[in-house]
Amino acid sequence: MRTRLGRSGFYAGLVKLIVFIRAASERSLKMHMANELLSVPVAIGTLGTAAAGLGLICHKAKSLITSDRFALMGIMGAFVFAAQMVNFQLPLMPGTSGHMVGAVLLAIILGPYAGAIAISSVVIIQCLVFQDGGLLALGCNIINMALVPTFVGYWMYRLFVNAQPSQWRLYLGSIIACVVAILAGAVLVPIEAAVSGVLRVPFYTFLITMVGVHIVIGIVEGLITAAVLVYLRQVRPDIIAECVVNSVRFSKGVLYMTLITAAIIVGAGLSHLASSLPDGLEWSYAERPDEPDFEPIISNESHAVAAVEDFQSRYSALPDYTIRAGAFGQSAPVETVEAGAGWQSFAAVFGSGATMGLIWLGAWALRKKNGGQNAPRSN
Amino acid sequence: MHHAQIDRISYQDSPIHRLDGRIKLACVLIFSVFVISLPATSVSILACYAIWPFAVLVVAGVPISFVLKHILIVSPFIAVLALSSLLYDKAPVIATFGPWRWETTAGVLRCFSICGKFIITMTALVGLVATTRFSDLLAAMAKLGVPHLLVVQLGFLYRYIFMLIDRGYHVLRARAGRKFRNLGFADELKTTAAIAGSIFIGSIDLAGRVNMAMQGRGFDGRFHRLTEMRIAGADYLFAATLTLYLVALQFLGRVF
Repeated sequence: MRTRLGRSGFYAGLVKLIVFIRAASERSLKMHMANELLSVPVAIGTLGTAAAGLGLICHKAKSLITSDRFALMGIMGAFVFAAQMVNFQLPLMPGTSGHMVGAVLLAIILGPYAGAIAISSVVIIQCLVFQDGGLLALGCNIINMALVPTFVGYWMYRLFVNAQPSQWRLYLGSIIACVVAILAGAVLVPIEAAVSGVLRVPFYTFLITMVGVHIVIGIVEGLITAAVLVYLRQVRPDIIAECVVNSVRFSKGVLYMTLITAAIIVGAGLSHLASSLPDGLEWSYAERPDEPDFEPIISNESHAVAAVEDFQSRYSALPDYTIRAGAFGQSAPVETVEAGAGWQSFAAVFGSGATMGLIWLGAWALRKKNGGQNAPRSN
Repeated sequence: MHHAQIDRISYQDSPIHRLDGRIKLACVLIFSVFVISLPATSVSILACYAIWPFAVLVVAGVPISFVLKHILIVSPFIAVLALSSLLYDKAPVIATFGPWRWETTAGVLRCFSICGKFIITMTALVGLVATTRFSDLLAAMAKLGVPHLLVVQLGFLYRYIFMLIDRGYHVLRARAGRKFRNLGFADELKTTAAIAGSIFIGSIDLAGRVNMAMQGRGFDGRFHRLTEMRIAGADYLFAATLTLYLVALQFLGRVF
């Protein structure tokens, strides 16, 4: 009996582990940027850009979106969460399942402005409530996953699909729109990481991995988006008809010019990164014990970035490894600094541990004195 | 469900819960900036930075296991990237820790640093969300100048996410009860599209009903609050403590 119980407990644990790994592997496919892959200038720059972009969109959309459309947009955003749960088996890749993200679908149905606001709010909720991506990376995530995919997807779709599209045209248009939209967002992730310089993965390896994975994701997304549009056209043709009427007008000339400009900017940016990355950023932080006189190279030409990097490296607390002789203007002998650094890091870790222990004990004692758990507030 | 759990914790009462949402939001942002601006290979100082979010969580009475579980769930993407730095950064460095010293590579330090920073900033973020009601957070955002349209949108979204996720679970269970094998790609796609499409239509209908009910009660596009938001002495004290703490850590770094 006892062994049986033990075994069933083991199996339950195993099942839990498998469920956890599956959930984790599905999450890892998403492209939520994290705080730690960004440098402060990039994080603040992208936060500012995203805020400005969203502010502009909200301002522009004010006349389009009246108070009776608030509920619709909010619930459409919530639909994205439900749609992400509906997964299905992918062919040729046993064990993997695909699901839709819905950014392009919402952009098509609600129009690019309302779609961008809805998906941005989804990304913000994912950050605040579900902790996908950090607070500082929120700017990057809004740009990569909300602003770029909705606008790019909407334009690409409109380019290929007219008011009364045939079924194959709808499928083709949706797939192209989704692939381009998702790739446009995904390509930004390695660029942001490379400009930040925190990660040491070679730029091209990261880029090719992201592009490869997201082409597959884009095709799956496009297939489901098209299938949902076909379904909606059969069941509720009024929704599809309405979305054509509500759409924002644009001229094809402007669209082509935008696409060409974007291509030139991306091309120029990529070539610049490619030339500066392989050796330039290689040693921007590291110090080498084998070469005490080694001078770290800051490869970014921008003076502002160089100043920030310099500020960081000067005021960073407790750099805990290697020789740091003369680091803060002191000219201590190499040996003492090296020995001291070890004890400093030791003190930092154990001092912090002890402090946290004290805080916990203090809080525990206080709570015990006050009698039990924190009660809910009344108001 | 998650929603119930995080709401239950954020509806508790503690000195941290009573602080103004704006102050907490700003503090988390500034704290995160300081943490991620540490050099990519410093590790031990992170232990000192961990004290703050830990103290906040303990004082607020948020279970640490709850926080760690959440961080673990969202960690895979960053874990893969952190581990990849082991492969790509092989500059030899000497790490010293107390009486021990060993030769290692910068990639190892980088990996530890990325993981440590991730845990610390995520703990701070969970600390914010678990000690602030979502409505208070929205009010704080509105006061900080986030566009009204976006705030209202976030409010509606938070109200209906969990409802639609539950609906998704129901539909998936219904599918699992009727579908006993893999149907092949085309049929699987068709079924999935029909499910997503029916949830979509359901959501649009729901939105119509909600809108009519809200208009009927006089909703004019604004959310009203019973309590006025005011920054009090405790808020200043909290901000001042964080400032002192961060300054002290910088000072610690300069002296050593």
